[in-house]
Amino acid sequence: MKKFLSLIVALVLVSAALAGCSTGNGGSGKEASKKGVTTITFWAAPNPTQQAYWKEMADQFTKEHPNIKIKVSPMKESPTSEASIQAAIAGHNAPTMSENINRSFAAELAQSKAIVPLDQLSGWDDVVKARKMDNTIKGWTFSDGHQYVAPLYSNAMLFAWRIDILKKLGYNEPPKTYSEMLDVAKKLKAKYPEKYIWAKADLVDPTAWKRWFDFFMLYHAASNGNNFISGNKWVADDQAGVKVLKLMADLQKQHALLTKKAKDPFETGVGIFTDLGPWTFTMWKDKYPEMQLNKTFVLSTPPVPDDLKSDHAYTFADTKGLVIYAQATKAQQKAALQFMKWVFSHPENDLKLMEKTSLLPARDDLSTNEQFTSYFDKHPELKPYAAEIPYAIPAIDNPKYNDIQTQIGQQAFNPVVQGKIDPKKGWEAMKKAIEGELK
Amino acid sequence: MRHKGQGRLGWLFASPYLLYAVIFFAIPLVWSIFLSFTNWNLIAPTFNFEGFSNYIKALKSAGVHAAFFVTFKFLIVFVPMVVVSSMIVAFVVHALPKFKGLFLVGFFLPYLASGVVSSLIVKGILSYNSPVNIFLRHRFGLDIDWLGTPFSALVVVSVMIAWKFTGYYALILTSGLESINQDVYEAAKIDGANAWQRFWKITLPLLYPALYTVLILSVGVTFGIFTEVYQLTGGGPSNATNTWQMEIFKQAFTNLQAGYASAIAIIASVVTFISIYIIRRLMEWWGKRNGWD
Repeated sequence: MKKFLSLIVALVLVSAALAGCSTGNGGSGKEASKKGVTTITFWAAPNPTQQAYWKEMADQFTKEHPNIKIKVSPMKESPTSEASIQAAIAGHNAPTMSENINRSFAAELAQSKAIVPLDQLSGWDDVVKARKMDNTIKGWTFSDGHQYVAPLYSNAMLFAWRIDILKKLGYNEPPKTYSEMLDVAKKLKAKYPEKYIWAKADLVDPTAWKRWFDFFMLYHAASNGNNFISGNKWVADDQAGVKVLKLMADLQKQHALLTKKAKDPFETGVGIFTDLGPWTFTMWKDKYPEMQLNKTFVLSTPPVPDDLKSDHAYTFADTKGLVIYAQATKAQQKAALQFMKWVFSHPENDLKLMEKTSLLPARDDLSTNEQFTSYFDKHPELKPYAAEIPYAIPAIDNPKYNDIQTQIGQQAFNPVVQGKIDPKKGWEAMKKAIEGELK
Repeated sequence: MRHKGQGRLGWLFASPYLLYAVIFFAIPLVWSIFLSFTNWNLIAPTFNFEGFSNYIKALKSAGVHAAFFVTFKFLIVFVPMVVVSSMIVAFVVHALPKFKGLFLVGFFLPYLASGVVSSLIVKGILSYNSPVNIFLRHRFGLDIDWLGTPFSALVVVSVMIAWKFTGYYALILTSGLESINQDVYEAAKIDGANAWQRFWKITLPLLYPALYTVLILSVGVTFGIFTEVYQLTGGGPSNATNTWQMEIFKQAFTNLQAGYASAIAIIASVVTFISIYIIRRLMEWWGKRNGWD
């Protein structure tokens, strides 16, 4: 019996030893302040360019602030980055801070008290001022009046048109209104029956996040930047929403939408219109060098209803930012904000962000600050994105955003694109379902 | 005393597996059952016990209904497909005079291929502007939405998984065929049985143990389909390929509803257990009729 017990003890010891060998890239709360040095953990987005950027930032910061040590590691992407954060929090192994948090997920984290309201930390106002993001930050205020995310980048989503094909149809610039767009569709189908206005299988996919890159882009433009959900209230502009759905229905009737899976449909000219983020250009440089601004494609804000009176079209902002986790100690939270302030106080850090990642810093003066001029001169394709930032609206701040956006797809957008439901009926069904979710 | 010592030795040898089973099966199972009765998202500091509300919600959910029926649709399409294809391969390999092992290894290779990679290849082949589809459109006027129509999406996924598992199951069936005594065929031939009769009256009944294994394994695969669906269709179109695993993934890792996803997982386990039990009993009944007790 003694031998048996010894064996069990040995097994436990081996297991404990193996557990001790774990790399353990998280665990903010477990990191103690040793000899006046505060160690914080930072989870970077799961892509090499952003990791390299944050490692460089952390190294430079530590040189100037030897009392703060920053451990940068990549956020786990499997099964999803959100799930890996969820698992880390559940296992009391959350980092001190992380990037890559969108406003909707932040709402869920905030509701669960997993992240701290930044506006309640001493020095937050200095961060906002230092980075010149007084206007940008307004769109990030949550319905409870607090500020949980420090926006890092804001990709104001634009649409791209194949100008080479438009020219063959007799147009020298992209359509701006719905009727102009439908006119293009008519001519396109007459001349090129196998081409489509918008070739995108995601148009019939109800996955929640996919609505950011079709419905919300069009809706924000049609509603002149009107919110969709505010806190727990439905505040959407019904008329604008129905108009968006009607545009999709009209395009579907003209056989101008391709919902079959196609390989790079815009680049291959199967579709002549697409939503386009600035990250695409790096891929095009290697894979499709023939895609040249003003030669093969042009960028434009979303098309708007004919009767919309506005100088500028709004759009959706694919934007993510930094959060500080509640599991971190007060000293770590203070150090994290200090690091954030240091990064955001130097415009050259934002320049590096653009150079390394092609992501556009979420600051009000991006298109006017002289420090960025040379960068935009080298990358003219990014200029329209920078100019659109003040008109770009981030994702809704509701913890049930997944259910809400799935309903937009399932009840309205997807069936309208498939020609299965009348736009008005689809909108009403969606509204009813979402109001049910919000109760 | 000697008997007691032997018992301890047995426990000792079994302990690695027991430890493994406790850590990776028993504890997660108990944890899932616990979660399924709560509204916890694993992030919030507090949670409430919700009784059976997650189960009731799951039983009313369109996604769960789809997962239930889609799994049986896969069962109807995939199981006969993979059993027939693996039998054909097994018969062909069995009839080869030489290099049987080499051919079996060749057929087995897809089993080792990454589901993600093979899904991406299939996605490319079936895309609207792939050479295959351009040829079909221009030559025959066929404009097929392979992954966008419910039936064809189901068939495409079934074919992919059948391709992956055919070699593996063929290996099992070939060993079954090799174990059948050739004298039985000789005797049947002398008695005047033709090839068709020999297949139905000798081969199939004597292949029962291997066939039983293949059928149970393939039914098990049906209840665990995920990678191919996740990569190719995301469970669509209109939930037409939404499997149990896909639904659990969506609720657990996209919607972050740990309690609700756990309830779905428990329901899926019960459905899987009952289905496999029924199929096992049917197979055993058929085996008994053919003299396998």
